Amino acid sequence: MTTLYFLDAAEFTDVSAVAAAQPGARVERLPGYVTVTADGPVVVDRRATGVRHAVWYSALAAVGHGRVVQYDKDALKVEPVP
Amino acid sequence: MTSPTAQRRVQEAGPGGTASHPVRGINHMAFPTFDPAGTIRFYRDVLGLPLVQTMQVKAWGPEYQRDFVHFFFDIGNADCLAFFYYFGQEPYADENLPPLLDLGRHVALHVDTLADLDGLQKRIVEAGLTLDMRVMHETVESIYVRDPNNILIEIARPLRELTAADALDAGITAQALLDVLAGDGEPSLDALWARKAELIGSRAAAGQGAP
Repeated sequence: MTTLYFLDAAEFTDVSAVAAAQPGARVERLPGYVTVTADGPVVVDRRATGVRHAVWYSALAAVGHGRVVQYDKDALKVEPVP
Repeated sequence: MTSPTAQRRVQEAGPGGTASHPVRGINHMAFPTFDPAGTIRFYRDVLGLPLVQTMQVKAWGPEYQRDFVHFFFDIGNADCLAFFYYFGQEPYADENLPPLLDLGRHVALHVDTLADLDGLQKRIVEAGLTLDMRVMHETVESIYVRDPNNILIEIARPLRELTAADALDAGITAQALLDVLAGDGEPSLDALWARKAELIGSRAAAGQGAP
């Protein structure tokens, strides 16, 4: 199970929304953050988010129990770590 | 729109109007210049920042000191950007500064509106200067230009106001960075992300941090 944390700010809303749209993903709001938790890998397609590059590359605030295996112009992919 | 700095000042002011710290912006930020004529033209005539104080000083103190002119441009909020012109000093430039560090070392001036930013861009372009970049960052939109001293000048306008969530995240990020630096492993963004998740989780479990 891995958790992605996004700052609860307007510019990151579209990123967290695309992450949350993944089947099985669970969304929670913590003070200051939106979290998306999934049992398996979480993949966020950059183009689906529609955000500009500066926002895309600073969108990920924290990662719980996961390993970022891809974070480039195409996608963010985080895999669970045992 | 209120500038981020001004907004923070308001947020930090308590019921009696007393902020959590006594610092009020930048009194002045100073750099040596080997091209005072170009510097005055750039800041006063191109950007329109008035000269508000100059000093002409006979060398005194350490033996390496030289006669100099110290001049101050108003950059708003009663803050100043200042330069030293030392008579007879050979020009110096750090030719070995890696590009990454060169970009990381810059001065960012604040304007309130898109019209202000566009207006300064127009003045820069009409003066025949090269606009390095125009970038939509996370919370500011910025233009970049080199001054005659090769100082990278950023001019930024806010895209949104800073929130309590920004301040909360700044504190957590700083703590995570300190923890990562103090740890045994190689500091990395992956380590920072992981430590931040732990800190955020701890705070949530303790019911802390509602912004």
